[in-house]
Amino acid sequence: MTTTRTTTGPVVGFDRVTKAYGDVRAVDGLSLELHPGETVALLGPNGAGKSTALDLLLGLKHADDGTVRVFGTGPREAIVAGRVGAMLQSGGLMDEVTVAELVRLACDLHPKPYKPADVLARAGISQIADRKVNKLSGGQAQRVRFALATAGDSDLIVLDEPTTGMDVAARQAFWATMREQADQGRTVLFATHYLEEADAIADRVLVLHRGRLLADGTAAEIKAKAGARRVSFDLEGTIDEAPLRALPFLTSIDVSGQTVRIQSTDADATVHALYGLGVYPRNLEVAGLGLEQAFVAITEAEEARQS
Amino acid sequence: MNSLIKLELARALRNRKFLFFSVIYPSALFLLISSTSGGPTTKVTGSDLTVSTYMMVSMASFGALTAVLMGNSERIAKERENGWVRQLRLTTLPGRGYVLAKTASAAVVSLPSIVVVFVVAAALKDVRLDAWQWLALTGAIWAGSLVFAALGVAIGYLASGDAVRPITMITYFGLSILGGLWWPSAVFPGWLQDIAKWLPTHAYAALGQAIEQSRAPHAEDIAVLVAFFVLFAGGAAWLYRKDTLKA
Repeated sequence: MTTTRTTTGPVVGFDRVTKAYGDVRAVDGLSLELHPGETVALLGPNGAGKSTALDLLLGLKHADDGTVRVFGTGPREAIVAGRVGAMLQSGGLMDEVTVAELVRLACDLHPKPYKPADVLARAGISQIADRKVNKLSGGQAQRVRFALATAGDSDLIVLDEPTTGMDVAARQAFWATMREQADQGRTVLFATHYLEEADAIADRVLVLHRGRLLADGTAAEIKAKAGARRVSFDLEGTIDEAPLRALPFLTSIDVSGQTVRIQSTDADATVHALYGLGVYPRNLEVAGLGLEQAFVAITEAEEARQS
Repeated sequence: MNSLIKLELARALRNRKFLFFSVIYPSALFLLISSTSGGPTTKVTGSDLTVSTYMMVSMASFGALTAVLMGNSERIAKERENGWVRQLRLTTLPGRGYVLAKTASAAVVSLPSIVVVFVVAAALKDVRLDAWQWLALTGAIWAGSLVFAALGVAIGYLASGDAVRPITMITYFGLSILGGLWWPSAVFPGWLQDIAKWLPTHAYAALGQAIEQSRAPHAEDIAVLVAFFVLFAGGAAWLYRKDTLKA
């Protein structure tokens, strides 16, 4: 299927958006833009403000301050125009009806609907179409939610922790389905806890922490920003830490016994300089940092900076 | 919105427990009460209607009350909690569409609740009325049930979790019994009668009884029903808006 998407300008625009609950600012002066065709991961720990940000984007909550635009209009207008399909973590399902009936309802409510049979097939739930919604497993219910979010030809798909409750195989199948959506030129925004998902699927990763945007870039850039290579080696004799600490591109160092562990934003330069110190490192290992560790490192750096 | 009404309706008609309590139960209760309270010409205390004629309206009103109140309050509370209401807000369905669909489907189910009691009364208890009276009764009881549909929605948005069922039950039985749907309120002690006559269920049944007596309904009863409708619908609208902002 080829669909021409006539979107000019940002798909989503947050301009200094703030939303507080009492004294807690769930979203704090958040500004960001999503562009057509991007697949964007919204990454952050619990309480980072991901769900609130998505609620604001979808018009379920209203900002205390700042503006949220979706396709140049308010969120509600964009939904009414059928441009947004969304799957919420907190989105429940109508029970005591069948999967097929619920999907048909979603298609009926969409201004640019697909055929219910196609929606069921694409979400991989054709074989459970006649099952009652309240008899589904967690992973199956997630797929039904996904079907509701993709019942029509929307330009933006928003998914809040979509793979919660799925096993590994179901998760992989789910992301394959979602990639098809993205390949049709849609903009996809998903919030996730599973950091490897952000790494594997997103073109762009937004790291949210305490309601603010901590980092915005490709997964590779986020890793680099956090000091993304780990260098470890053993040294004999008494270890003099001072020259090691002065190594270029070093972001952290940990010496325990004869083992030295370093994080570096440019491992090649750091190792080169290490040999320049005249030491003889044994068991030298250079490894990439997973996004998860990168993410922890960014968060810690931010917290250290704030305190 | 029609598709949501259709689906709500399909679900309600599939729910045997709900159909039993809103359609079968009032008819069964009618048969039980009218068969055990004197002969076919026995008049109800404080009324010139026979027991069967009187109880037919009471039980049709009771059935309609069950249909519009019981299903919706609990469903709305549950669907607010499990997030279905939020999911619907991500569709083109207008905000009020959810509540309207619930009310519309309840109204469809309440019609058989009324008609089945009438058929049972006419066939088994020889209740005879003019054609216009049957039609007017059906129309009045059906339209009057909107007052309680609004109450059901208000309770659904007011209560949550474990509280919704007891609140619904207390309201339901309190209104039914005190309003004189189960026993004529004329048998109540005087002080209770004074309370009962201000209840919407009392005015609701009185509407039907006036039609049976070929009289125009009391202006007082209509005023009570309208006042409660405004109160319940206003309360439901206010609670709905509060819930939407909080979501």
